[in-house]
Amino acid sequence: MKQTLFLVFRLAAVGWALPTTLLAAQPIDLELIRRPDSLGFLQPIPVHVRGLSGEADSVLKNDLLFMGVVHKPLEEAKFLIDGNASAGRAEARVLEKVTKGVAHEAAFTASSLRAAVHALADSIAKALTGLPNIGIAQTKATFKVEPSRGRSEVYIADYDGFGAKAVTQDNTIVSAPCWAGRGMLVYSSYKLGNPYIFSHVLGTGVRNAVAKHPGNNYSPAVSADGRRIAMILNMNGTPNLYVANIDGTGLKQLTRNRHGDACPSWSPDGQTICYVSRAGGGPALYKISASGGSPAPLRTTFAPNPTEPDWSPDGKWIAFTAQLRGFTLFIVPVAGGEAIELVPGEDPSWAPNSRALLFSRGPDHAKQLSLLDVPTKTVKPLARILESNSQPSWAK
Amino acid sequence: MKALNNSEPHMKIARPITLITVAILALSFGVVGCKKGVQKETTLRGPGPRGITGDERGGPIIGNVPAQPNHTPIISETPTASPLDVPGQGLKQPDRNFGDWLPNTTEFKDQTVFFDYDKANVRPSEIPKLKEVARRMMTSFPGKALRIEGHCDERGTEEYNRSLGDRRAQAIREILASEGFDPGMMPTTTFGEDKPADPEHTEAAYSRNRRGELVLLSPPSNSGEQLTRDFGESKALRSSE
Repeated sequence: MKQTLFLVFRLAAVGWALPTTLLAAQPIDLELIRRPDSLGFLQPIPVHVRGLSGEADSVLKNDLLFMGVVHKPLEEAKFLIDGNASAGRAEARVLEKVTKGVAHEAAFTASSLRAAVHALADSIAKALTGLPNIGIAQTKATFKVEPSRGRSEVYIADYDGFGAKAVTQDNTIVSAPCWAGRGMLVYSSYKLGNPYIFSHVLGTGVRNAVAKHPGNNYSPAVSADGRRIAMILNMNGTPNLYVANIDGTGLKQLTRNRHGDACPSWSPDGQTICYVSRAGGGPALYKISASGGSPAPLRTTFAPNPTEPDWSPDGKWIAFTAQLRGFTLFIVPVAGGEAIELVPGEDPSWAPNSRALLFSRGPDHAKQLSLLDVPTKTVKPLARILESNSQPSWAK
Repeated sequence: MKALNNSEPHMKIARPITLITVAILALSFGVVGCKKGVQKETTLRGPGPRGITGDERGGPIIGNVPAQPNHTPIISETPTASPLDVPGQGLKQPDRNFGDWLPNTTEFKDQTVFFDYDKANVRPSEIPKLKEVARRMMTSFPGKALRIEGHCDERGTEEYNRSLGDRRAQAIREILASEGFDPGMMPTTTFGEDKPADPEHTEAAYSRNRRGELVLLSPPSNSGEQLTRDFGESKALRSSE
């Protein structure tokens, strides 16, 4: 008893001794390390992970990397993560390296070791970054898989590519799968001949046609609230931009031109759609009100032929693909201006934390998905499934 | 405070106060104590908080389940009567669904139209091919239709190319219509870069892949049977039409 009390007192004394400790309501040390870079992204917080091995170790480090917490050698780290994991359980204590003050601790049990480690990673990243939406380790992605040329299927997997499974087995061409809430996908499929847009409930496999108009129906994009869809239809001749309710009712044509439009993406508030148009001669980004109106060009200086815009969930950035020495990923502020070059790749899809991107890279019919930490430009390729993987969409 | 620990007689009196103090300190620091393991444990059930429902529990295998047969009707639209010309947007697509017509991909193989990089306008040198197609459609194939398929090379992004292939097919359709062939008998489709004619990644392959293919369509003798054969379509999905 005496010894226990003594230890408790000693801990308390150490706690008092910490300069306005790590763990006070507004921990000054944590605030000091939460520094934004020149673009406003949080600079990576260096940690040293120890005590884990194998899958738990690699999963935790990988998860943290895309949430602004990066594993470094001990001497460069500001925090130690003392982890412990076994089947279906993962725990860790995060210590300030010098004082050994406990910054965070958590333990999770789950159906698998990976699931527990993912939950742990989210919990650590939230505690260290102070960003409530930073967690992405337990998210999913959907993407297009080509088993062979001219055939493709819709797949889903964990955001890191693990546990991939086929959603469709139609033996036709599919394109642009995206999420409508967490339990439903929307994609374009050539199953009935021309491309039509279908919704697909994951739990039951129930499919409904969302857009099955004369001609071609493709490039679906679902608003963040899951209630509306933007898409490209050519029913009136030239492929133009349309919106409708998620069940296909309430169709409205937003653009009418002879140049052709492509690749819509919603602003997170559902008010605006960014898309590609050739109104100016070549492909360029435009913004238009989702309720109709005049399109306004979005400048992407330094980024030629921009396509595939994807609006970040925090509303600040538009990621897109430009043609600069092959396909290259860029981001540009939503107001337009100088675009920032990232890495070679195409098909960018923002993570729900507006920090990481999923994208594809490689020659046609041999593409591979990769993860990108935007501020540090760190890329991690995912394992390739069958012949080619492309068009990822990250569940928000 | 250390003196309290060293003095047995004071211990009993001091303990409640000490414990309260420790509790307050622990709370204010968020310190759980010096126990080895982490005390607060969260148990996750099924998919995590951001996980999607349905994919990790039992139930039907995703992808093998036919579509719901009696779903809500597809977008209601008011069909526009002919003429098919929509001001400022070109020729409207035919309302008719040619999905069950019999395709003949060889008849007009030699009349495949090739395009310049990122262009959807038909080159003047390709126009004679289309004049011949229009003439033969009107003279040799009465009652038959023509499906125009737009394709692209791989140097555009995927959905951009789907739109580009769409415009290529439409450009061919408009020339054939201007030659007198009924646009209502010319459905178009786009494959973007999904179906290259030449899989190589060379300039020569790209130029062969930027094309519009013309497929002769004959009316079906038994539409239902043909539809199933062509698209491997499930009965349930077809009933949604």
